Amino acid sequence: MQVQKKWLVVWFIVMLGIMAGCSSSESGTESTSKKEGKWAGQTLTVHLIGDFSMEDATDPITGKTNEGLNSIKQEFEKQHPGATVEFILMPWEGYTEKTQAMITSNEADVYQMPGLADFAAQGVLEPLQSYIEEDPEFSLDVFIENQVSGWKVLGPDSDELSIYGLPLIGDARFINYDKKLFDQWGVEYLSDNPTMEEIARKAKQMTGTNPVTGEENYGIWFRGDWSSAFTLVNLAEGQNGRWGTGFAWDEIQFEYNSPEMVNGLEWLLEMQEYAPDGLISNQGAERWLTDRNNIAIMLNQGPGDLILPVYAQGLEDRIGIAQEFNNDDGIGGMFAGSPVAMAKESDNKELAWEWIKFSVSEDFQRYLFEEANAMPVIKAAEDWESYKEVEKMMNPTIEAMRTPWTPRYPWASSQPRFILTSEIEAALAGKRSAKEALDKAQEESKAWLDNR
Amino acid sequence: MAKDKVSMNHSMSSSVHVQSLKAKKKNNRWIWYVFLLPSFLGILLFMVYPIVESFRLSFYQSNGTIENFIGLKNFQQVLTSTSFWNSVWNTFYIAFFQIIITIPLGFIFASLINSVKFGQNLLKTVYFLPHVTSIVAAAMIFQFVLHPDLGVANYALEALGLPASSWFSDPATSKWGVILLAIWHWIGFVIIICLANLQAISPEMYEASRIDGANKFQQWLFITLPNMSGTFAFLLITGWIGGLQRFNEVYVLGGPSGSPARSIQTMGAFIYERGFTGFEFGIASAATYIMFIIILVFTFINLKVSKMKL
Repeated sequence: MQVQKKWLVVWFIVMLGIMAGCSSSESGTESTSKKEGKWAGQTLTVHLIGDFSMEDATDPITGKTNEGLNSIKQEFEKQHPGATVEFILMPWEGYTEKTQAMITSNEADVYQMPGLADFAAQGVLEPLQSYIEEDPEFSLDVFIENQVSGWKVLGPDSDELSIYGLPLIGDARFINYDKKLFDQWGVEYLSDNPTMEEIARKAKQMTGTNPVTGEENYGIWFRGDWSSAFTLVNLAEGQNGRWGTGFAWDEIQFEYNSPEMVNGLEWLLEMQEYAPDGLISNQGAERWLTDRNNIAIMLNQGPGDLILPVYAQGLEDRIGIAQEFNNDDGIGGMFAGSPVAMAKESDNKELAWEWIKFSVSEDFQRYLFEEANAMPVIKAAEDWESYKEVEKMMNPTIEAMRTPWTPRYPWASSQPRFILTSEIEAALAGKRSAKEALDKAQEESKAWLDNR
Repeated sequence: MAKDKVSMNHSMSSSVHVQSLKAKKKNNRWIWYVFLLPSFLGILLFMVYPIVESFRLSFYQSNGTIENFIGLKNFQQVLTSTSFWNSVWNTFYIAFFQIIITIPLGFIFASLINSVKFGQNLLKTVYFLPHVTSIVAAAMIFQFVLHPDLGVANYALEALGLPASSWFSDPATSKWGVILLAIWHWIGFVIIICLANLQAISPEMYEASRIDGANKFQQWLFITLPNMSGTFAFLLITGWIGGLQRFNEVYVLGGPSGSPARSIQTMGAFIYERGFTGFEFGIASAATYIMFIIILVFTFINLKVSKMKL
């Protein structure tokens, strides 16, 4: 009996070991290090966020088979004999806290890092300026204009913006419109750089019963919740205003209740009359990007959810792109995307730099564009065949990527953003006037800064 | 002499046997602790350690890596924050209406199911289904059900000649959207618990009361209700604890800020917003402890009011 129990305990421990041993550390990549080549024995762990997979997978929208990251792994390892690359892939859901946990426990060497400013300030990232300067093969000229400066951030002790990450995946904000509805209403298409007045006039014209189909149409839609702060700040930029000044928290001065911001919010309140119900809760635009669309103009749109569905549904001749509101210098709109950064605690910094260079090379950028539905960040993309096939959508996207407000809004994922968003929602819901809402947002944001 | 020796040997061997049995029993007792060890380690690592660490963090200004000791400033900031008290109000408002509607309604449904002769199991399954549905999936479906233009709810309201609502697009109605979802999700559980209690009440009590001349209402008032008091107390306490911890559905419906205009931001969502979207881990930890104290005090009051013994 005693012997049986001892065996039971041994069996239990063995099973625990087996379970732990059999559980995959990540996407099933090999972990044995290679013994020959310049990079022999070095294993690089790369963190990526989004719909990446190691194996080939079928895209649910287009039905096309997309190449998995295994091909990229092979290519990098071929170019760097002896090196082994492992990937840690994660979804966008909760990426901030997951990245924080990873970087705290030194899980990866290279990170895809949209929250670059927060992490650089923590002192957990390696400054890249010296790597750039010392590498004769590498030049920042390969990037689309403004992409590098958009990702400049402050380090833990510095008071000057510097490079802690290089652009990896591009993003942009622009205005979309449905040419078919414009035609049906007999309204001229939006100009490439429309003004607030032009948008308001055309939205008003196209709200009501469609003269051709007899269906109810709405002139405009914008998201009234999550991204409304960025929509409003862009409206202020279009009037030569701004969100405020500074980058480090102790230098930031908000201008949330400036005349341009108040005017912008009043404009949004007016536009709400030409929009379907539900925009405060991200509702009302369910038919957008379908052939039954009933909305003429969409503010603050991005390429990620646009280009693939448009081409998959044959809507490329129907959907137009105009630039967001720009100031007199031609600048405006939120800077967005994902940079690639190196962990300060990485044991393989030289190889990590090699990966960073590889990730902004034509090989990897083309892979991101063609296989992972991500926007490229390098100028060379404009010469690719795959780019030319969709250039009707891509040209204005790249144009928008050239002219955003840089550096990235430092408050974009902090409390002042949520304060501003909540007050915009309060104004849209009729709880407060535009002026009252923005005065409150200014006061609360300032109090938050003072208490930091 | 030889007989004595044999007897002594026998007694010694039986004493050894008893000792070995005792040792076995003792070993038997210990072996179960080995089996408990993995889950105990899990509790230490994933519950005790975070609780202690969160308490420590509540005295620091922390962005996850860089920390400065600031004493009670985080507690002061949370307690003077209007958005925190707004989230407390939202949490209590939603929980109060969820509980005050669901428990009586669930009890009525349970009584009706208890009184039918056929199809009881089918009805129990149907009513319990929402409770086993993921609240995240249910919240996403409710966004469509309560859609201002395309939603079934507004369609039904208009068909009855009632005005349609903006539901999640209006701070005045968004909380009621969450309350409806919470009722729909919890009522199956309330029905099953009430039903179990109803079926445990002795039929002899009803029979005796009938002989004494009690009518159906008197039976319900003087037999059913007093026998249900323990169940109601249990539902009240678990309902409040669950209601005060509400996070998943409001996160899906209104994001961490509880859109629109923080109207559905609960205490849990406030903590998430400050901790995981704003990197203010000290503030989030302090808010967590304040939330813990609020739940503790409120549960204590509930226990006293409902006279439930722990």
